[in-house]
Amino acid sequence: MSRPVLRSLATLNLYLLVGGVALLMILPFYWMIATAFMPAPDIIAFPPKWIPTRLTLEHFAVAFAKAPWQTYYWNSFVVAVASVGFSLLFGLFAGYAFAVYRFPLQGFFFFLILGTLMVPVQVTSVALYILLAKIGWVDTFLGILAPNFASAFGVFMLRQGIKQIPVDLIEAARIDGAGEVRIVLTIITPLIKTTLATVAMILFLGSWNDFLWPVIVINSSDLRTLPVGIALFKDPYGNINYGPLMAATLISTGPMLVAYVLSQKYMIKGIALTGLKG
Amino acid sequence: MSTPGRRTFRQTLGRLRSRHILHAYLFIAPVILLFGLFRILPSVQTLLYSFFKVELIKGRFTFIGLDNFRDLLTDEIFQRATLNTMKYVVTIVPVSAILGLLLAVLFNAKFRCQEFFKAVYFSPMVTSTVAAAMVWWWMYNPQFGIFNVLLKLVGLPEQPWLMSSHTALTSVIIFSIWKTLGYNMIIYLAGLQAIPPQFYEAATIDGAGPVAQFFRITIPLLAPTTTFIVIYNSILAFQVFDQVFVLTGGGPANSTNVVVLDLYRQAFERYNFGYASAEAMVLFLFILGVTLLQYVYSKRYEVSY
Repeated sequence: MSRPVLRSLATLNLYLLVGGVALLMILPFYWMIATAFMPAPDIIAFPPKWIPTRLTLEHFAVAFAKAPWQTYYWNSFVVAVASVGFSLLFGLFAGYAFAVYRFPLQGFFFFLILGTLMVPVQVTSVALYILLAKIGWVDTFLGILAPNFASAFGVFMLRQGIKQIPVDLIEAARIDGAGEVRIVLTIITPLIKTTLATVAMILFLGSWNDFLWPVIVINSSDLRTLPVGIALFKDPYGNINYGPLMAATLISTGPMLVAYVLSQKYMIKGIALTGLKG
Repeated sequence: MSTPGRRTFRQTLGRLRSRHILHAYLFIAPVILLFGLFRILPSVQTLLYSFFKVELIKGRFTFIGLDNFRDLLTDEIFQRATLNTMKYVVTIVPVSAILGLLLAVLFNAKFRCQEFFKAVYFSPMVTSTVAAAMVWWWMYNPQFGIFNVLLKLVGLPEQPWLMSSHTALTSVIIFSIWKTLGYNMIIYLAGLQAIPPQFYEAATIDGAGPVAQFFRITIPLLAPTTTFIVIYNSILAFQVFDQVFVLTGGGPANSTNVVVLDLYRQAFERYNFGYASAEAMVLFLFILGVTLLQYVYSKRYEVSY
């Protein structure tokens, strides 16, 4: 065979391979969406109905009748925004201190903060629960937020970002009479916008998808976040109704998937370059 | 008073420095306080409680020495959970790394719609594990689930998937590979793109074929990336919980029970907080072990680079 034929054959193989794996990767998303909109008989049809005979919203009606998804949304949103907000604010100042100042015990404190990455909430959950039970934070928003008010990953990333800024710039601002707080808020912040946005995105995603700690600390149904709501939506007595279950799953993942489709390039880069939340 | 100007300058500098130390402590105070209270204190208390029988409702903490750890040694369910966690880690880490590397090699070639495919491969990574596992739970349904329907369609034997103690752990692992594959691929792709093309050019001139180049150039030069991927995935794999909770709840017959699930049950369903703390210490030791390995390996690569 001639070279061009060989080359186009190789390209075809590449597309078949990459495309085939892509179909496998995307199948769960497609099947979730299809099941959510299929009339009930289609769901258990054989051979499977890849395209529903008609579209229906009945499963969404059932899903909304069985659980307060608006409340779960609101809870997930409040927790995510609060944890991202506090982590960025505290992380910004701590990151500035570690990047710009020299102070006694600096290395020790930095090590202490990064050391917490080695002890995930999976390890500390029991003791943390006992502590929160003592101060009355169990089954409250504050309880969900407690281990997420600050982020070691955030402090580290912001310190790295601030270290890139020339010291002369900070010195010049000091000579102009700017206080340190003002320097952080009006000079540093705009210069590390990209880092701030990446850290915010990763922390938001982490909080939005977090399951173990919320399911431990939350008992009342009106404080559930989306992952907790969806996990407990599955009927424990085996009364399985896949249509509404997939509708509920789509309700809870839909906005994040849309956000991903709109900004995938940026999200992939952010997550890949920095690792997922610590 | 020979150099008054100089002294004032030094005084100003000193005053500035001490003011900066004050600023530094004020700036790190919120993080240190919050971490001290909600991260570090519970870490220390986990160690402490593992030597206690904790009755939270009565507010009673009884010191029982090493009894919790002794009980762990005879707890068949915990041993099963530990063994399952080990099986999970030693399967998913290499399989996911190798598949990620192969995909990255494919993506290192230029072809159309590359960014689109990359986004597709990465999409499970941004999806909530709980929601994704819920979809897989439906797909794994032995009667109507899409996997068995497809097997039936092509005339292959249907599988019990999550319903049998022989296949359940494998089914959970397949889900987790789907979930993490895209991340490993992207990381390996970044590693591949950092390899200078001169290495390959020189090898081609010397007559090395693509397979030889892959094993002699690509794999050795990717060693730091591989170390990162193995360590990162191992630490996460030891903490596996969400997908097990949703897919199997640890069953059937504890065949998918894992350390964090057992810890969760002991603490928050049976209220054996002291015992669960001992289990948490075992989990911590696993993570510590992996971290120490990372330390040793990253040291080694610092030398070779």
